[in-house]
Amino acid sequence: MKDALKAFWADGDHLTTLLLLGLLVAGSVMVRSATFGTKFAGLAPRQTAWCFVAVAVYFVAVLVPYDIWLEYSYILYGLCVVVLLAVMILGHSVAGSRSWLILGPVGFQPSELAKFASALAGAGYIKDLSHKVIGFREFSILSAIVALPMVLTLLQPDFGTATTFLPIILAAFYLSRMTLGQILKWAAMALVGLVVLFVLGWFTFFKPYQKERIVTFLNPSTNIRGAGYQVHQARIAVGSGELTGKGLYSGTQNRLSFLPAPHTDFVFGVVSEETGFLGAISLLLVFLALLSRFLSTLLLARDLEGRYLVCCAFSVVLYHLFINVGMVLGLVPTTGIPLPFISYGGSSLIGLTLFVGMAANVRAHRFVR
Amino acid sequence: MRPSLDASLSAKATFLRILLWTVFLAFGLRLFYLQVLQGNTYRTLSENNYTRTIVLRSPRGMLLDRNGKVLCRNRVSFSLVMDTAKGGSIDDTIAAMKRILEFRIARSEVDAALHRSPVASLAVLARDVPPSWLQKIEAHQQELSMLRIEMELRRDYPFGLYAGHALGYVGLLSPEDAEKLKIKEKDPFIEVGKAGVEKAANVRLMGKNGVRTAQVNSLGREVEDPKLRLPGVGLVEEPVSGKPLTLNLDMDLQTIVENGFAGETGSAVFMKPNTGEILAWVSVPEFNPNLFSKAVSASDWQALMEDPGKPLLNRPIQGAYPPGSTFKPFVALVGLQEGILTASTVFSCGGVWEYGGHAFHCWSKGHGAIDMLTAIQNSCNIYFYHAGDRVGIERLDKWGTLFGLGRKTGVDLPGETTGVLGSPAWKKARGLGPWYPGETLPISIGQGYLTVTPLQLLSFYSTLATGGVRYRPRIVSGPPEVLSTVDVSPEALAVVKEGLWRVVNGGGTGKGCQIPGYDVCAKTGTAQVVEASSGKNTYSLEKGERDHAWIAGFAPRNDPSVAFVVMVEHGGHGGDVGARIAKAGLEYLFLGKKPGEVAGPPAPLPSQSPPTAAPEVPTDLPPEPPPPEDQPVPEGIPASPATEQGNPTGVAP
Repeated sequence: MKDALKAFWADGDHLTTLLLLGLLVAGSVMVRSATFGTKFAGLAPRQTAWCFVAVAVYFVAVLVPYDIWLEYSYILYGLCVVVLLAVMILGHSVAGSRSWLILGPVGFQPSELAKFASALAGAGYIKDLSHKVIGFREFSILSAIVALPMVLTLLQPDFGTATTFLPIILAAFYLSRMTLGQILKWAAMALVGLVVLFVLGWFTFFKPYQKERIVTFLNPSTNIRGAGYQVHQARIAVGSGELTGKGLYSGTQNRLSFLPAPHTDFVFGVVSEETGFLGAISLLLVFLALLSRFLSTLLLARDLEGRYLVCCAFSVVLYHLFINVGMVLGLVPTTGIPLPFISYGGSSLIGLTLFVGMAANVRAHRFVR
Repeated sequence: MRPSLDASLSAKATFLRILLWTVFLAFGLRLFYLQVLQGNTYRTLSENNYTRTIVLRSPRGMLLDRNGKVLCRNRVSFSLVMDTAKGGSIDDTIAAMKRILEFRIARSEVDAALHRSPVASLAVLARDVPPSWLQKIEAHQQELSMLRIEMELRRDYPFGLYAGHALGYVGLLSPEDAEKLKIKEKDPFIEVGKAGVEKAANVRLMGKNGVRTAQVNSLGREVEDPKLRLPGVGLVEEPVSGKPLTLNLDMDLQTIVENGFAGETGSAVFMKPNTGEILAWVSVPEFNPNLFSKAVSASDWQALMEDPGKPLLNRPIQGAYPPGSTFKPFVALVGLQEGILTASTVFSCGGVWEYGGHAFHCWSKGHGAIDMLTAIQNSCNIYFYHAGDRVGIERLDKWGTLFGLGRKTGVDLPGETTGVLGSPAWKKARGLGPWYPGETLPISIGQGYLTVTPLQLLSFYSTLATGGVRYRPRIVSGPPEVLSTVDVSPEALAVVKEGLWRVVNGGGTGKGCQIPGYDVCAKTGTAQVVEASSGKNTYSLEKGERDHAWIAGFAPRNDPSVAFVVMVEHGGHGGDVGARIAKAGLEYLFLGKKPGEVAGPPAPLPSQSPPTAAPEVPTDLPPEPPPPEDQPVPEGIPASPATEQGNPTGVAP
């Protein structure tokens, strides 16, 4: 342990640690402001508590060298799949989705953890490869590793979270070396798989409200009035923040409930309204620095499994940012995907912290021993 | 050893870096556009979100009688308003209202309410709704999000029917009113006077609404939060209350006189001759102004409009009737003034006078040789046919105009009509041909081309009381206003007054309103409605064909403190029912006889019962009463809105 700390002090990714800590503090503050004086006010201290848990999880993720993590990756992956199956049967239902595991006072969405586990298992699989090349066969297997928990999440059904598995497949694709023919072949296989799954699901175990959710998801314009109102109010929140913002706890769109879901999906609206252009840009710059750090780690990583882990972290965090901030700014359609580290929610926070921790881990252990 | 960096990985990382910067550049530019370039616009939008202008409604001024009794006050009332700017389905809301509030309203009614509202998005669906709806709407915020309950102040007339025609009533501002009164304010609850004092003194009574800016949340509920206190929010423009108005009415007298009618139709006005202060203003049948203060339903309105008794007609100024014998003192006065007649001028009454081939009758079989005072006392027709014939229509017209007969009195109430004072010029102007001398004779006894409003007749008797000074009759208290002074000789006046005194105190037709010690001077009149009534006992006729009964006068003779007129439609002889009503009023004024000692106890209604459930849907009402025709003279025969008058006795065509 002492050696590990010493090694971390010497080679560790301190910038990433600082950036992460900054994001966690920002998240705590914004959730507090977004819930201040509402019935959700109790969520602010919970989020802060989650942040402390995240810090602990981060250090565990960083201090244990990633090749040791990879040795346990299949076990962790298998555990996650089992839990996902259990949740489908025993899970707590929120808003029509069976995605919650309740352990005493703490609720957790195992799908967020399964996302990390599938990236880890993929890296473990790459580690065992002798030729260290991701070709058609390897890419298909990596995809299958991600697809299993993703499909289970889809069946909960939680479409928003299910889509956050996709950037992992994208990461694998990005690192692969395939011919165009192989890519098309894989795409055809994926399409057939999805259609079969969908048809099977539709006629066997989807409940009417689940089908309704699918229809709404595939065709958001059926609920355009509500969504349009949300987007409009979010834009007002952002714009009215002007250069310097209205001040913490003083955002009228936030505090007077014009902004929808201010502590979760639309928390970036609160940031923009209350801290203005300067605050919003600062937050984005922190994310930009973190993601740039991942890209530099990508080039520094000592092996393919390391690169895969970093690429997954980059891909997942960027995907969340793109969808969430893009939604608040009115650039992409409304989807319930949180802003990493800022939106309220312990599961997403821990899951994403693990990705960041693993990217920092790869950087810390970039030297070949 | 570092693994060899293959060129493709380096290129891939560069691509990802470009992708990353592209995404963040897009975000940055978008933020810059929204927050820096468009920031002002969105700030305004966010301010519009949370600020709501709340109208602070100003109460209309109270109405008080001369003794400070409250004639009209304000009460709190709740109204149901639909705000279509809230978004949502009107049809769904209608269905939800039916289910939750048990309130039925058709889509067409909602559309009509939206149409007439001065605020395009606001519809007043119902007024005087039960306060419990407030909680029901709060509890079903989701389904009834378009609805809200607004508080408004409504008029409350504690005396109910009493003096309704003087007080008038109010109604929601119509677009026409808004234009006329130059009211630009956009509030669906502005009420303006539609009749009576409420209309005449509307500007003084109305006051001005205030404005408050409130901070509301997305549900439209007001939020007090010190952290969100922003400039402009909470700014108050204080409402300015309407000024209270004291009226000259004496509600005790009003109640006594009004009760005196006891089912009869007609009107009565009591006035102070030396100031023009109106003490009582009665027009029966009455209407209850509280009816208009609640939501008048279309059917209620229809019933009021079609009531054969014409309750909305303000009879003292909108009813024009032949004055009958109450006109005779005027003829005498003109004769005396012009030196054509004296008190001792004698004519002989044989019960009938042949003139121009027509027989002109007296009500009596013959008074014999009769002088002026006796003729007034006994109301001899033949004497006044002769007198009128001597005086001539030109002089009657000249002096009638000076006394304001056939003219508006200028009373401070809206809707006054003029009546008709016939003359050759008048007849010519209407293309009715030349004046026949035979047409002067009916006028001499108050028939023919002659109609007056009760207030005009009162004004004439009041001018007799003052010795020629004409005051503007006033309901609203204030300084006296002299309209004109008629130059009449005291000698001529003394003769006429003596005649009027004898009518009451000398065994004449007005003995019914004699009050010992108070020298009441008055003249009764019987205006013929149907020709057939001549020579018949009027009480043997159907009610609708009986003569109108008049009595007008003043008292006490030497220092008059009150002038009065009582007119009972189809009341028979003025000396009977009219004198009884007049006496009741005079006894109260002179002897302090209170209601309980006179007729039935007319305890004024303390207050209207509070509004109950089943509110009514307001309509475009209440409009104003139908304006009386200025010169109601179809086919040359003076008609009045309230009488179906036949051809007067013996008018030679």
